[in-house]
Amino acid sequence: MREIVSIQVGSFANFVGSHFWNFQDELLGLGSNPESDPVFKNQCLNMDVLYRTGETQQGILTYTPRLVSVDFQGSLGSMSSRGTLYSEGSQAPSDVVTWSGSVSSHASEPHKKNLFLQSLYEEEQESFSMMNGTTRGENDSQREIQDKDIVECLDNGVKFWTDFSKVHYHPQSLYELSGLWTDMQDFDNYGIGRDAFSEGFRGEEMCERLRFFVEDCDHIQGFQFMVDDSGGFSAIAAEFLENIADEYANTPVLLYAVRSPGSYMNLKSQKQTIFRKLHDAVSFSRLASFSKLIVPLGLPFLSESKASTYLRIENDKPYHTSAVYAAALHSTTLPFRMEPVGPIADSFDVSGAVEINDFVQMLAGQARQNTVAILDVAMPAPTLNGKQGEKSLLGNLQPLTPEVAEDAEDFQAVESMVVHGALGSDGHRASISEVKDTVNGIYENAITRPMFCHLSVARCPLPIPLPFPSIFGNFVGQHGELLSTPIVSGSFSRGSIDVHSIPMAVRLRSSSAILPFLENRLVNLRRFGLERGALGSELLRNWGFEKDELYDIGETMSKMVSALNPDLQLSSEDSD
Amino acid sequence: MSLRVLNPNAEVLNKSAALHMNINAAKGLQDVLKTNLGPKGTIKMLVGGAGDIKLTKDGNTLLKEMQIQNPTAIMIARTAVAQDDISGDGTTSTVIFIGELMKQSERYIDEGMHPRVLVDGFEIAKRATLQFLEKFKTPVVMGDEPDKEILKMVARTTLRTKLYESLADQLTDIVVNAVLCIRKPEEAIDLFMVELMHMRHKFDVDTRLVEGLVLDHGSRHPDMKRRAENCYILTCNVSLEYDKSEINAGFFYSNAEQREAMVAAERHQVDERVKKIIELKNKVCSGNDNNFVVINQKGIDPPSLDLLARAGIIALRRAKRRNMERLVLACGGEAVNSVDDLTPDCLGWAGLVYEHVLGEEKYTFVENVKNPHSCTILIKGPNDHTIAQIKDAVRDGLRAVKNTIEDEAVVLGAGAFEVAARQYLVNEVKKTVQGRAQLGIEAFADALLVVPKTLAENAGLDTQDVIIALKGEHDRGNIVGLNQHSGDPIDPQMEGIFDNYSVKRQIINSGPVIASQLLLVDEVIRAGRNMRKPT
Repeated sequence: MREIVSIQVGSFANFVGSHFWNFQDELLGLGSNPESDPVFKNQCLNMDVLYRTGETQQGILTYTPRLVSVDFQGSLGSMSSRGTLYSEGSQAPSDVVTWSGSVSSHASEPHKKNLFLQSLYEEEQESFSMMNGTTRGENDSQREIQDKDIVECLDNGVKFWTDFSKVHYHPQSLYELSGLWTDMQDFDNYGIGRDAFSEGFRGEEMCERLRFFVEDCDHIQGFQFMVDDSGGFSAIAAEFLENIADEYANTPVLLYAVRSPGSYMNLKSQKQTIFRKLHDAVSFSRLASFSKLIVPLGLPFLSESKASTYLRIENDKPYHTSAVYAAALHSTTLPFRMEPVGPIADSFDVSGAVEINDFVQMLAGQARQNTVAILDVAMPAPTLNGKQGEKSLLGNLQPLTPEVAEDAEDFQAVESMVVHGALGSDGHRASISEVKDTVNGIYENAITRPMFCHLSVARCPLPIPLPFPSIFGNFVGQHGELLSTPIVSGSFSRGSIDVHSIPMAVRLRSSSAILPFLENRLVNLRRFGLERGALGSELLRNWGFEKDELYDIGETMSKMVSALNPDLQLSSEDSD
Repeated sequence: MSLRVLNPNAEVLNKSAALHMNINAAKGLQDVLKTNLGPKGTIKMLVGGAGDIKLTKDGNTLLKEMQIQNPTAIMIARTAVAQDDISGDGTTSTVIFIGELMKQSERYIDEGMHPRVLVDGFEIAKRATLQFLEKFKTPVVMGDEPDKEILKMVARTTLRTKLYESLADQLTDIVVNAVLCIRKPEEAIDLFMVELMHMRHKFDVDTRLVEGLVLDHGSRHPDMKRRAENCYILTCNVSLEYDKSEINAGFFYSNAEQREAMVAAERHQVDERVKKIIELKNKVCSGNDNNFVVINQKGIDPPSLDLLARAGIIALRRAKRRNMERLVLACGGEAVNSVDDLTPDCLGWAGLVYEHVLGEEKYTFVENVKNPHSCTILIKGPNDHTIAQIKDAVRDGLRAVKNTIEDEAVVLGAGAFEVAARQYLVNEVKKTVQGRAQLGIEAFADALLVVPKTLAENAGLDTQDVIIALKGEHDRGNIVGLNQHSGDPIDPQMEGIFDNYSVKRQIINSGPVIASQLLLVDEVIRAGRNMRKPT
């Protein structure tokens, strides 16, 4: 077992992270519940990879994510940044022991706990009283109604990512950037975030928090880093990554740059559009330079995209959109924590375990050294039944990475596919070998084949926790099967009450299909930043970039482009 | 107005409205912060939306915690925060001084005076005050052996404004000793060499100075000793965990044996490194009962820990980068980046190394070191917000001591300087100036009095009585400050109330600059893309 330390920087990254940890928490819960589906009990997934065991000062054992989350001050809503696990119990907050003079108290209005958080709290109290032998039974019917209310309340009222989180975090995990408030305007470009890391003790404190979790690891396999790269957080993350690269030189960083559909809107003037393009170019290249593998995520119109064919998403709700990315990320991380039985033999429940380092080497370390990968997702994955299933699996895998060429033919592509919880033709869970055979069959019959594909399979599907948004369309059945006729019911979207688990398939591709993404950034940087008299050169100077630095960035990016596309020579003279 | 033609949405405030907006903002900010000032000030308890508590009496912290929206207030706050960055203290004084300058100016402006004239007066007054400060300051000779008493008085003055008296007095000794410990002749003082470590444990009065280092982690092996005396310390930055080398990182093995062989070969390299460390240990520890401690900046994996534990070595992994430097300063030896040429000269020495466990938190104390040039202030407190507040206070105390050593001077406190400067401006400088700029000087002089006034106000005294008494004493040639208990004039020198020279200078310097800028604003234009953003 080798540990992973997760890092989340920025608002949307924390939304995604919150869903991600909810899945883990659900898996943990189902794994220990005797009544749950056996497939959850034999997950063969080692949760210790992501979680750590701790102990409070009172000697109570804890199990918390190995996570550092960075966000604005005030972004935690009703959750205390120190969590509740390690709180020192009830202590009257009014006693000020360090000052004998007068005290004035300034309390900001407390955030109300929503229905969901209230029910979590009650459940906790209940489990305390359960230990004293009280019974429950007839509560169940009452429960049902409550769940519906909870789902509805969440659908309408999620404001903070903590509103739908059911996970206990370690007191070192949640870091608020003191002095950067949630309603801070203009935190939307690289330049503004550049100094935010080093100001005060922030950078040092963040590194300290990270060190706490790394020191705890016996043998860390890598960092899983999520960043909301649509604004100033991208600069904070870049500085953070630079520190990480310096301090933990041999530990690979797997970087997911996520952004919400909302971040693409609000571009009123041409000037703003240029700002945005330059930000995208600069922040991408900075982030890419400090990570072993970067996966850009975030479609401008997620709900209209092919990736959400079976989903009903509202683009302006980060609660909705982040759920999709979180599900995809959950699936991609599965191979890192599958329990390997032996180097060659496969267990009955999982197959294709791989560590981050090997994984990154496989995708990015080949001849082309392309460190940018595309993430495709099939949510839910189609049923594997005969010929038809083969087609639909590849057809259903649709990119969550923006600006990707649709039909790029690339014979040097390297892929890693994860399929978990797939259903067979008769509606039963397909066995590992069935899935493997089907996927192999698909590739043999496919017209364009990648050079290499690594396949990881698990039997355990994606569990849908209660606070998961109602984003499934009415073609999705209770176990995530795709129905031929829609379910007729009152509402169009189905959520955690109707859908209990779904099969998932995801694929990370290192392919030339990413070229448009890279080229756009390169061209924008040159046109608006580097050319003589470019509109944005003044702006980039304000963001603290020297001319030489920018040329270096341009150079690196054009190398990335030409590695994937040797025919095309993008020279800086005729780039326009 | 031409702007209206260009942008019909732009809002424009005309001259007097703009000026009053600025003045009101400055006064507002002053009102918020002025109760902080001095040892009789009010501590603020900030309770966040989720019930998180923050205690502070520090203007700087308070400004950061407030979500300031008003642009003028932001400008003032930035100046004040910059003040703190430069000199470590004086945020509150800066804000109330700026506020008072604006307040005094308002009087004259309402009577029809042009701000320009006031600003000219400010400039003259500022220069004169700075000159006066040079004369007024008390020089302190910092030879090889600085005068500990004067350092203590400065530290105590600062700390007593943040913490209750007996705790402040206790911390005074800690802070002064800490700075003297890390001070090296002919070199600037690097306060980072004082580690601030905290434990949520026991009471604030258990805070103490550790001559040595406290690390916030422990050994990760059950068989390693928890307490050892007479220890050699090896400070190193060497990876003692099995890293797959980048080149061999594929998984294209043809059979299981091949893979095993590869892993074994890679493992071997790590073991070799561990063995070199063990060799050194055997060399220096054989025939005596000394112990050996390895403190590594990189990781140590369980097999390596096993080897080390079997050799009787205590090993800590992932030490803070800064602690590597501190360890060498505290224990001697040098930090090594490779185990290839280890010699006993690389080793440091500590008389005692022991571990303290609180729940999952472990602390390793490295104490009884030879000649410490680095030390740790171990802050204890019953809860997080208490610890945080003590930590802030200790930081300010350290800065105050450092400033004193670097300034080689102190200034009499308790408002003595402000009253003296005011009298000097009114009685001497004003006469040398012709015309209306005199009024600017007068406004400036009166604004200086805000410090003793606020001190008196916070202590529940009558401000007028106090000011009159103080002025009277000064006119008689006695330099006095304010006794916060009785309201009587006292001699700050006798009471040991001293402020930092650099802090005072900075306040006099920056306050009038910002106030002048704000006074000269004659139009406020609100336009641009962020106008009335709904979010």
